[in-house]
Amino acid sequence: MSEPHARFAMGSAAAAAVKRTATLVPLRKSIGYVARPTSGVAATLETSHPSEPQAHASGAPSENADAPASTTAPAPYDAIPTDSVPTNNISNWKNAQQDPWWVRLTLILVAVTSLVVLVVIPVVNIFYQALSAGLHTYWDNLFNDPDTRHSIWLTLIVAPTAVVANLIFGVAAAWAIARFRFPGRSVLTTLIDLPFAISPVVAGLQLMLLFGLQGYFGPWLREHNIHIIFAVPGLILATMFVTLPFVARELIPVLEAIGPDEELAAVSLGARGWQVLWKITLPNIKWGLLYGILLCNARAMGEFGAVYVVSGHIPGQTQTMPLRVDRLFQGYNTPGSFALASVLMLLALVTLVLKTVLERRTQRELAEAAKLHSPEIES
Amino acid sequence: MSIAVRNVTKRFGNFTALDDVTIEARSGELLALLGPSGSGKTTLLRIIAGLEAADRGSVHYHDEDVTRRSARDRNVGFVFQHYALFRHMNVFENVAFGMRVRGIRGPVVDQRVRELLHLVRLESLERRYPSQLSGGQRQRVALARALAVQPKVLLLDEPFGALDAKVRVELRQWLRRLHEEIHMTSVFVTHDQEEAFEVADRVAVMSGGRIEQLGSPQEVFDHPANAFVMHFLGNVNVFHGRVHDGKAHLGGFELEVPEHADVDASAAAVYIRPHELEIERSPAAGRLPARVLRVHAAGPVAKVSLRSEDFGLELQVEMNVERCVALALVTGEVVYVAPRRVRVFVPEEPGELQTVPEYVI
Repeated sequence: MSEPHARFAMGSAAAAAVKRTATLVPLRKSIGYVARPTSGVAATLETSHPSEPQAHASGAPSENADAPASTTAPAPYDAIPTDSVPTNNISNWKNAQQDPWWVRLTLILVAVTSLVVLVVIPVVNIFYQALSAGLHTYWDNLFNDPDTRHSIWLTLIVAPTAVVANLIFGVAAAWAIARFRFPGRSVLTTLIDLPFAISPVVAGLQLMLLFGLQGYFGPWLREHNIHIIFAVPGLILATMFVTLPFVARELIPVLEAIGPDEELAAVSLGARGWQVLWKITLPNIKWGLLYGILLCNARAMGEFGAVYVVSGHIPGQTQTMPLRVDRLFQGYNTPGSFALASVLMLLALVTLVLKTVLERRTQRELAEAAKLHSPEIES
Repeated sequence: MSIAVRNVTKRFGNFTALDDVTIEARSGELLALLGPSGSGKTTLLRIIAGLEAADRGSVHYHDEDVTRRSARDRNVGFVFQHYALFRHMNVFENVAFGMRVRGIRGPVVDQRVRELLHLVRLESLERRYPSQLSGGQRQRVALARALAVQPKVLLLDEPFGALDAKVRVELRQWLRRLHEEIHMTSVFVTHDQEEAFEVADRVAVMSGGRIEQLGSPQEVFDHPANAFVMHFLGNVNVFHGRVHDGKAHLGGFELEVPEHADVDASAAAVYIRPHELEIERSPAAGRLPARVLRVHAAGPVAKVSLRSEDFGLELQVEMNVERCVALALVTGEVVYVAPRRVRVFVPEEPGELQTVPEYVI
């Protein structure tokens, strides 16, 4: 599974664990204050698995014999004393702050333990394993194996190409959705999210069905000697599909917050379409745009499932870095596998740092838009 | 250059924003479009500017039909309600933008920007960014930016709507002076009747996508064309009654209304402005007994609230402070209210008066 998906799956598992504890002691009020993931990505992923929380909701009361008396109620939420229902009320907030020490301690322990077990140890271990045979071997593993070298090079071709394509699509789609009212607008908004909801393997398969030898366009493509499946274009298409929503999803809220007035002002001052785009719109959305590109790139480099299906696993030809990691590992070349994995991990860490910075900038962009649009009182 | 709008209709889905509107702004005049929100005034302004396209009808600048021309080629100066300054450009670049996108280069840009910043008195702030300016300063930058491209007409959308009261008064006086200096045909949108009357040469009162009345501030205020205009332009006391034989019957009262002599027994609303009511100590024919509720004597105009038991409604009376002091009103006492001037509106269609439901007997 690819990076963001893996992170999400872990996140929900941890949340589920906490939820189970919560039915024994009424901890839910504290959970109510746990910050929800801010990025639209995680939020969408969450909604794409609606069955999961429901399963807990119906299963939890019966699991616990000593659950509060209201087991007849369909949802465990009803079993919570009314004063602990989280609201924005200040007195309730205080109540949450005054949880007994053992509640706080348990919560902190649960969070820290899951983080250490699921995140810190694996991350450190990857670097440890990669470097355990010494720096020289590490270097050898990375750059003296022609197939590994090729996989790095291939990733550096596929990911940026997909990012650029999605950048163009994302800006166009976000502009259309934020600026125009047209029939099918909400359908388009939903369709943009579709790649988040579809399993990457299915995404790869549908490309096979279209462009593969047995697919609709297969014979035509073979006649004209065009290779898509088991070749670089297929890898790019698969990567594009799974990263399609990132840029558009980041930009729509930013564009909506900024509003069309500055663009209209530019038009009334005589600017042409491309002048408006370059001189007004892009400078205004630049941080949101960079943030979208960053997330898109991280996913593009780490993509496994969709690429796996269309690649045909040809070493030195269609193996991107994640595929190569898998192949090395399957071939019992653990040091080589971990060395390449550490490169992916480094990319993830760099992404994380940049993401934090850009997220702050994007927030500022939104806040500034709100400030400039609100009624101003002369100081 | 004059601006003419002819038979313009604009719909947004099921909502009719403009319903067959025809209006002309004469060359060099400052015209105000006045109306409550949703009356279509901003839509009309945007159609004049070319930022919105009319479903039907045409827009003419002087003799030229510009209906099909884009906003870019209409050469209008447009000032947005929230200024819409380019946030990533400083004041100088904001003002220079119009010239830059038209390919004007060199010292002429510098010179023109400095001239305009001098005109709006912001010379010292040319390196500041919009977020570092106050609301009034932003508004002036927006105006300088609109004027930089030497527009043929100037259009302002609620230009003072987002400013606090004091700055608003200063800026509108300044706008009036500026207009007298440059004499450019200008149209501005406002929901504030005081603002419209103070700044504009002529006022168009709008409601429900139609123009209710067009005229000089004095004409509109003194001779409101209908109940809506009367109601919209400031406080008014409204009595509901009937008109019959040239007389308005309000409960036990009768008022002569010769202008409605030909009306045969119809429901009517009688409008009396607060300053057109007189308070007297003694009862007489045509005077209405009322109990004093509150007296506000702060400022040059004293405002008195009274309750008329006969009509079950609260009356507002305004008079100068000297008169109020001379009357020595006491809360709770009964006085007699005499109208000096009344306006009676008979609905053209049944049910029309229901649009002003504030006081119903």
